[in-house]
Amino acid sequence: MFRSVPVVDTFRDRLPATIHVLFGIGFIALFLLLPIALLVINSLNFGGELLENYRIALSDVYLRAIFNSLFIAAVTTPILLLLAFFVSYFIIFQTERTRLMLGLVLLPMWIAYIIRYLGIQLFLYPNGPVVSVFDTNFGLLFSTAGVVLGLVSGFLPFAVLPIYNSLSGVDRDLIDASSVMGATRLSTIRHVMVPLSIPGFVTAGLLVFILSAGAFLAPDILGGPSDLMIANMIERSYSEIFDINLAAALAVIYTGILLTLLVAFNSYLNIGEVLSDV
Amino acid sequence: MTRPTPRIGHATVVLATVVYGILLIPILMVIATSFTAQPFPTLPKTIDLQWYGELMSDGQIHGTLITSFIVALVSSIIAAAIGIVSAFGFVRYEFPYKQTISTAMLLPLIISPIITGVAILQFTSRVGINTGYPTLILGHSVLVFPYAFLIIRSALSSFDSTLEDASVVMGATPAASFVNVTLPMIAPAVFSAVLVSFLVSFGEFTATQFLVSADATTVPVIIYTMMRTGVTPTITALATVLVVIMTLVGVISEAVN
Repeated sequence: MFRSVPVVDTFRDRLPATIHVLFGIGFIALFLLLPIALLVINSLNFGGELLENYRIALSDVYLRAIFNSLFIAAVTTPILLLLAFFVSYFIIFQTERTRLMLGLVLLPMWIAYIIRYLGIQLFLYPNGPVVSVFDTNFGLLFSTAGVVLGLVSGFLPFAVLPIYNSLSGVDRDLIDASSVMGATRLSTIRHVMVPLSIPGFVTAGLLVFILSAGAFLAPDILGGPSDLMIANMIERSYSEIFDINLAAALAVIYTGILLTLLVAFNSYLNIGEVLSDV
Repeated sequence: MTRPTPRIGHATVVLATVVYGILLIPILMVIATSFTAQPFPTLPKTIDLQWYGELMSDGQIHGTLITSFIVALVSSIIAAAIGIVSAFGFVRYEFPYKQTISTAMLLPLIISPIITGVAILQFTSRVGINTGYPTLILGHSVLVFPYAFLIIRSALSSFDSTLEDASVVMGATPAASFVNVTLPMIAPAVFSAVLVSFLVSFGEFTATQFLVSADATTVPVIIYTMMRTGVTPTITALATVLVVIMTLVGVISEAVN
């Protein structure tokens, strides 16, 4: 009934543990970390003033784009956390169609960002449904608000997964106890559910902050000329003004900010959780 | 004890509608406008398939669909293969700095794809690898790796390794028991990892824009290029084709895992 596959003798002994792990680390090191390290060399100006590219990258439009990235991420993150908590609460406690409602939140993760941002454009276009009903798109297109709307729509599934996992792990008896003791629903949410879901909030917050700050398509498709973020500046330096060294300096600055955040929150970060339900 | 179903207030209904709208309306808009009879993408009054006819006769679009398919398939298989080997190491063995190294494995997911794209393009041009298929496949293998790694690691960590021991006790070599016991058990997860990686690769634009060449361009890149000259129903028809492919692959990956 069970036919075993013959295995060649040379594979007799299982590879030692280090080789398994080194295989993965080597792949990432060789094709991601090394290329990024090479950007550091690009970013330094060995002929003249060593940090010339960094001086440019930290001035004028480039500095503004760096601040803009952090600002937009700082606005988007709390909105995402709030909506993600609401959706998770709704799915766990307020609907009987749990699988369907969770599935509808996760479905957009499968669809390319460029298609979803195109859909937002079409929704808000002068000949789209919003303008034909309200006669205005409320300034949501080609503006900072448009970028935030795009990022919220784009990254909401990433915020929901960790918070949903945390919240659905909260012991139901604690929730019942709280309401038996006379707490209102809001007070139970505030004093029981939110505090017990903190790990989910931290993972979700860190992940969507990083993803938002590094966004390229949302500002490109939904933002105005003053909404450019650091990723757009890297692309422009590289593809439009062909200043690879400046692009490299901007990339190194962004990676520096990111690594600082990662190191600071490393013990909290459990991105595996984010995808455990996919 | 059965809990009474909580009453849902009007505010909850409104907010839930808004949230699900933010998530799903963009996708529905793309699909709906592809059936318009107008020369620009508006909500249609009647169903018109002329833009799909236009797609069918466009040789360049066929080429990009084939390129996207090949790149997604090859890079997701590479990522899954490396994912199996390394996830095995992470699940079965203890070693120093495990948590930190495990976060490093997820870097392609965390770091902005714009940086991954620029860094890989600079790297490949330094070592003399051509743009087009070689850079696309290399870049996409890196980009989708975290997804493959996470899905396979999660399957391996819930797999009962005593089954493998039992097989060895019964006289199988460790390698034979891996092939005959472990692999069949994690096969659905591996298949799911390939499909999810395929999806990520198929839709990736930001890093991909640096890696394409004139004769090897992917669908998201051609959609972006077409959008530059104005949004037409042909673009939304092409995007709808992508939505259908991606939803199908996504549903299959859910079903097998």
